[in-house]
Amino acid sequence: MSEQHPALLPVGLRDLLPPEAEAEAVVVARLMAVLASHGYERVKPPLIEYEETLLSGAGAAMAPETFRLMDPMSQRMIGVRADMTPQVARIAASRLKTAPRPLRLSYAGQVLRVRGGQLRPERQVGQVGAELIGSETVAADVEAVSVAAEALSEVGVPNLSVDLTMPTLVPAICRATGVAIEQVRDALDHKDAARVAALGGAAAAPLGALLAAAGPAKRTLATLAALELPPAAAAERQRLAEVVARLEKAAPGLRMTLDPVENRGFEYHTGLTFTFFTPGASGELGRGGRYVAGNGAPEPATGFTLYTDTILQAVPAPTRPRRLFLTPGTPPEEARRLRREGWVTIAALGRVDDAIAEARRLGCTHVFERGALKEV
Amino acid sequence: MTQKLVMALPKGRILAEVLPLLARAGIEPEPEFANEDSRQLRFATNHPGLDLIRVRNFDVATFVAFGAAQLGVAGNDVLMEFDYPEIYAPLDLEIGRCRLSVAARRDLAEEDSSRLSYVRVATKYPEITRRHFAQHGIQAEVIKLNGAMELAPVLGLSPRIVDLVQTGATLAANGLVEIERIAEVTSRLIVNRPALKTRPDEVGAWIDRLREVVHAR
Repeated sequence: MSEQHPALLPVGLRDLLPPEAEAEAVVVARLMAVLASHGYERVKPPLIEYEETLLSGAGAAMAPETFRLMDPMSQRMIGVRADMTPQVARIAASRLKTAPRPLRLSYAGQVLRVRGGQLRPERQVGQVGAELIGSETVAADVEAVSVAAEALSEVGVPNLSVDLTMPTLVPAICRATGVAIEQVRDALDHKDAARVAALGGAAAAPLGALLAAAGPAKRTLATLAALELPPAAAAERQRLAEVVARLEKAAPGLRMTLDPVENRGFEYHTGLTFTFFTPGASGELGRGGRYVAGNGAPEPATGFTLYTDTILQAVPAPTRPRRLFLTPGTPPEEARRLRREGWVTIAALGRVDDAIAEARRLGCTHVFERGALKEV
Repeated sequence: MTQKLVMALPKGRILAEVLPLLARAGIEPEPEFANEDSRQLRFATNHPGLDLIRVRNFDVATFVAFGAAQLGVAGNDVLMEFDYPEIYAPLDLEIGRCRLSVAARRDLAEEDSSRLSYVRVATKYPEITRRHFAQHGIQAEVIKLNGAMELAPVLGLSPRIVDLVQTGATLAANGLVEIERIAEVTSRLIVNRPALKTRPDEVGAWIDRLREVVHAR
């Protein structure tokens, strides 16, 4: 076997270099600042947890994606987090059980997944998120979408659009028509109208109508309004319409589409869910929605997760700061003053013959020599 | 800035059936598109916002899944093989009708397959093949071929194949029989999921227009 190159990393992992690593940190900080400004307080769960707590409740969906190892100390199985939402839900249900509701929490961190997706090979991804726990109101649904939209706009995502869905609509129709949902789920997930028609049985007609209705929010709502729906589904439709109407005021300029049958990744969601897109990025910028938090004492909750790696592809490249080369002998107080003015200073560590050439070699835009600033 | 939409079409057999559909939907490719020897890969249409590309049928799914093309035409055999979550198949174009089947040498056709634990199969569809046999509790060793599947049993490469069957004439000519149908196949209009979400009006308009054409037949 040939020797392995020392720089080779395992599949799906990579090094972030300058300036991307800095850009990522800046984006995370700005997203978190928007969440903080809306009263979402930061929590920091650990990287690894006992498997049974990490994968209980809403965390069960991530079980196949979770790296596991045995804790040599407790001799119990431990999982590396593949998603931070279940951790935050656990904190809310245990240590912050007595904190007043609605509880607003935020978090930022890296998660690890056993497999990357077919389209995204990354196995370590960054998440920034918020959870709003203890409110069942339409206002909470609206807040989750609008705060996420504000955060994404704040970091410079252009032409943001959100796709809203109600994952309870399809089950309500299936129950009313007596059709097993497993029968049509895969076909619905791929928007495969032919297979829905073939497999849907008594639900084929209403499900086909829902499929065809997906599109810009206004138009879809109008189509949905004309549909004959079972009472449970009609109630979901009513709530969806209310959310859209309120979002038009809460997040003006946000493009909204509606997809009444979207379900992927929303298996554990119990109400309004949403996904953010932008034309410039090939994947989702973030997603979220309503779920049930807490194991023993269930609580209504909503929230969202933003994917920093995708967001970084969608925002304008960061401008590099002005870098100033300080020639030997620059007084420390002078250097401090320049840094306070916003300069990044690169101090010479030894004798320099040609300050301009040395500055250029180190990627500096300016030189500070004999008390004067010079452009390189 | 509005980018052009790109529609990926499969080379070969299906293309001849797709073009009349597109024509009825009012999509006329530039004349060079008809030239099979053309080195050109991307073609304009009479719609300034829509271009066509001509690629292998498996690549249609890949281009659309990654969003390099927003629209495409692909058989559900290709979609089943890749199972890309980013592809929607909103419309059955009802062309390219055939079936995906398991075929074997005539002498094996009588064999009781419930006793098998392991088979060797030659196919262009390794994922579908593995999944299909796994559902029957059989582990399949897949030999990936890109064409002329019927040769595999004849020359002893593998006793079974999984391949598209249209009339069964090619199978019969090589002493093979169809044992089991895995799926009925037709071509679908496919779209890239983020493209549908971020450009619902343009992409949706093409889906609607083609739906009218298909249903009018």
